[in-house]
Amino acid sequence: MNDKNKAGLSIALVCLVLGMMLVAQFRTTQISGSAYTSHQRAQEIAQELKNITDERDMLKKEVLNLRLRIDEYENSASKISSLTEAMQKELEKTRMMAGLTAGEGPGVVITLDDSNVPKQPGEDPNLYLIHDEDILRVINELFAAGAEAVSVNDLRIVATSEVRCVGPTIIVNSIRLAPPFTIKAVGDPDVLEASLKMRGGIIEYLEVYNIQVSIKKQDKIQMPAYTRPIQLNYLKPTKAGENQ
Amino acid sequence: MIYPLIGLIIGLFIGFISPISIPVKYSSYMSIAILAALDSVFGGIRAIYENNFDVNIFITGFFANTLMAGFLTYFGDRLGIPIYLAAIFAFGVRIFQNLAIIRRGIIKHIFPKKDQK
Repeated sequence: MNDKNKAGLSIALVCLVLGMMLVAQFRTTQISGSAYTSHQRAQEIAQELKNITDERDMLKKEVLNLRLRIDEYENSASKISSLTEAMQKELEKTRMMAGLTAGEGPGVVITLDDSNVPKQPGEDPNLYLIHDEDILRVINELFAAGAEAVSVNDLRIVATSEVRCVGPTIIVNSIRLAPPFTIKAVGDPDVLEASLKMRGGIIEYLEVYNIQVSIKKQDKIQMPAYTRPIQLNYLKPTKAGENQ
Repeated sequence: MIYPLIGLIIGLFIGFISPISIPVKYSSYMSIAILAALDSVFGGIRAIYENNFDVNIFITGFFANTLMAGFLTYFGDRLGIPIYLAAIFAFGVRIFQNLAIIRRGIIKHIFPKKDQK
C-alpha cells in the first residue's frame, strides 16, 4: 500500500508540473495566436486589395482634377480685383505651410535602412529594424531644427499625418511603406544636418542598432504636395476673441 | 488513482494564478516537453497497473524524456530538419500503447469475473 501511495504521489508531482506547463503553453499560443490563414482567404483578400487599389487610383486622379479646377477658379477670380489678388497670395502662403502645394528648396535627404549586420540567432530581430518611432524621432528633430517641410518616401508630412507601424511596414498618410525610407527636409541644410548628428542625438541612437543612415545635403530638393483628400468633419473654426 | 488528477488540477491552478508564460520562441520546446511529460505520466500509470512501478525510474524517465525532446528540437532547429517529429511520433505511439494497457488494466479491475471465464 505504501508503495502504491508513493507511486501515486510521484505521478501527482509530475502531473503538477505538467499542468503548469500546459497553462504556460496555452497562454503563449493565445498571445501569439494561430498563424494559420487558409489559401482561399488569402486569395479573397488579395482580390479585395486589388479592387480597392484600383478605386484608390481613380479617386486620386479625381482629386488632382478637382484641385486643378480650384486653381483655375482662383486664378480667374484673382484677375477681377486687387483684393482677391492679395487674398490669393495669402491663400498660397497658407497652402504652402499646410503642405498642399509642391515646392522646392535647399535641405537634407536622409536615408534609413534596416541593419545589414547578420543577425545572431536568439537575438530579437526587432532591434535591427526601423520602427515608426525612429522615423518620428527623425521628423521631430528636423522640425525642431527649423525644417519648413518634411516628406517620407515622397509623402508630405502635414498636420494630420500619422507615422505608424503596421506589421512589418510603416504607414504614413495611410500609405504603406517599406524600407529603405527616404526622409527629405527643406530648411537650412547645415542646421538640419547638425541637429541630426548631435552628440547623443538620433543618428547616434540609430547606429547603436546598426541601422544604416546616410545624410546628404542638397541645394535643391523637390518637396511633393500632400495628395490625399482633406475632410474636416468635426473641426469648426472659431473667430478670434470669441471663445477665449 | 486520484492523486494524478489532484496533482494536475493543482498544477493548472498554480499556472493560472501565477503569471508564468513562455516566450513565443521557446513555445515549440515547451510543446515537446509537454508531450514528453504526458508520455511519462501514462507510462507511470501503466507501470502501477503492471505492479512494477519504480519511483526512481519514473522520475529519471520524466526528466530524461523531457530534456531529450527539448534537445532534439534544438538540434533540429540548428540543422534545419524537424527532428522533433521523431519525438512526437515516438511519444504519440507510446501514449496510445500505454493507454491501451491501462484500459485493459481498468477493465480487469472492474469486470474480474468476465475475465476469469
